[in-house]
Amino acid sequence: MPPIVSFSKVCKFYGSHFAVGGFSLDIRAGDTVGLLGPNGAGKSTLLHILTGLVRPTSGQVSVFGKELQSNAIDIAFRMGALMERPTFYDHLTVRRNLKIHAQLAQRDVNLDRTLDLTNLTEFASVRAGTLSQGLRQRLGLAMAMLTEPELLVLDEPTSGLDPEATQDILTLLRRLVDETAVTILFSSHLMHEVEALCSHVAIIHKGRLVTYEETESLISYDLSQVEVLMDGAENAAKRLREQDWVAQVTSKPGRLQVKLKEQGSHQLNSFLVHAGYAVSGVVPRRRTLQDYFLKALDHE
Amino acid sequence: MSSAPRLLQLRNALHRIRVAYGVEIIKAIRLRQTYVGPVLLFVLVALSPLAHPLRQDTLGDYAFIAYVTPLALNFLGYVLLLAYVGGLLATEMDRGTLRTVLLRPVHRCEIYLAKLLLGCSYSLLLTVVVALSSWGMVIAFGDMYGVQVGGVLRYTSDEMLWAYVGGALLVLLPQWAGVSLGLLFSSLTRSTGTAVSLSVGTWIALDLIKYPLGIDHLVFSTYLESPWHVFISQCDGLDGRWFPMAGYAIATSAVVALASTACGLFLFSRRNLGSCG
Repeated sequence: MPPIVSFSKVCKFYGSHFAVGGFSLDIRAGDTVGLLGPNGAGKSTLLHILTGLVRPTSGQVSVFGKELQSNAIDIAFRMGALMERPTFYDHLTVRRNLKIHAQLAQRDVNLDRTLDLTNLTEFASVRAGTLSQGLRQRLGLAMAMLTEPELLVLDEPTSGLDPEATQDILTLLRRLVDETAVTILFSSHLMHEVEALCSHVAIIHKGRLVTYEETESLISYDLSQVEVLMDGAENAAKRLREQDWVAQVTSKPGRLQVKLKEQGSHQLNSFLVHAGYAVSGVVPRRRTLQDYFLKALDHE
Repeated sequence: MSSAPRLLQLRNALHRIRVAYGVEIIKAIRLRQTYVGPVLLFVLVALSPLAHPLRQDTLGDYAFIAYVTPLALNFLGYVLLLAYVGGLLATEMDRGTLRTVLLRPVHRCEIYLAKLLLGCSYSLLLTVVVALSSWGMVIAFGDMYGVQVGGVLRYTSDEMLWAYVGGALLVLLPQWAGVSLGLLFSSLTRSTGTAVSLSVGTWIALDLIKYPLGIDHLVFSTYLESPWHVFISQCDGLDGRWFPMAGYAIATSAVVALASTACGLFLFSRRNLGSCG
């Protein structure tokens, strides 16, 4: 299947400062891709390039198999986007703002359905300028989803929101991912958001792609680090430190944290059982996206 | 590419410009600042009888119209027009609303042209407000029996009306040239103040140098005033001449409008509209 979005050696310079340098990435239809990177990594610039707001200095971008620059209109018909801190015509109501965008999109859209989907029905007659940041973000999302796009581009959709509003947006996006076949490209610097939503993760640093992996593969279990729930943890820790297959042991009341030189906890398990300890559980440590992210940046 | 797909592309582009223009009109109608210009001009016309009284004495009061129309349109009206146009792109770039709009299937050039049409419509609105209010004042408080010289009817009221309509139509051309220049400046900056300053500054600078250099007939802003001369002359019972003034007005306005629109389209289509840009 051809990629739905393809970046090929994309560079963007602002004067002498480069924001993106030789970025290449293919995204398949139906994937939910999280663009992760520290502030200034080039995430927003890439999304601005993808939405046509910024021209790349060099390189090629194609969307739906078409070159972006020369097919911008055709592509825009099938794409929805929410840029960080969306802006609206503040003197117009929520409904009027959506109507204007529906007109520009040249589509007959069901505004009530969009308002309902984004829980904005009760604010339909409210002027956009009086909305809270959380509601503005929801309106931005409503605009992005207005024409039921095949590709949704979201630039830090929860930026500046309180935890409740953030959860609202994430729930909405989760619903979208579960209920539709939309492809989502989602930038964030918050790991848990990407971990919760995305099927794939692209880590960007200094305008370059560091890694692109399935989220599941990055947050698998680390079998070389285990936590043991047991009685007599202090005593067991002393004996384990003498074993040459153990790299590090720390003990807390009722539990041990053991770092093994090799993967696999069967040797540890049988050692503790033969030594007569009452082990109630051995749990391998779960790698988080943050671990992977920090490791990836460390290699850079 | 064959001519049929090109024709289709052109038709689609014209359709998108029409849609974008419709959106611009809806936005403008719901924006209070749109009404500032027409209201100010109406107030100016309404207060003008204090300086130029109207009398119901069976003599035509066209001199009142000849006094108030250039006064309202040539200076205050033009400044209000430049102030309005200066904000059309700059304000939207500053607030970021333009970015949101450009995520839709519409080219930057089409948005630019829709805004140009809005600016031209606004100039038409200001002219119509001044025309209706000044003629309305004369109908309500003065007389319109044509222009008499030595008790003989020199120009009928219809002839006076047509001289006025001709002047109003012709004066729209340099106004539209000003709109296109104002929009060009508006596309260069995110500050409305800077855009308006550039537009007004250019206008003043041109007016300061054109007479000493003897190039006034080649400068479009000269024709913000000249088209009224026919009507003003007729008010005094004299013959006014449309030519060659009308030809120069059309040519200079067209050159400025086309050049600044081409420049604006070129620069605006290449602007970075991302947050870093």
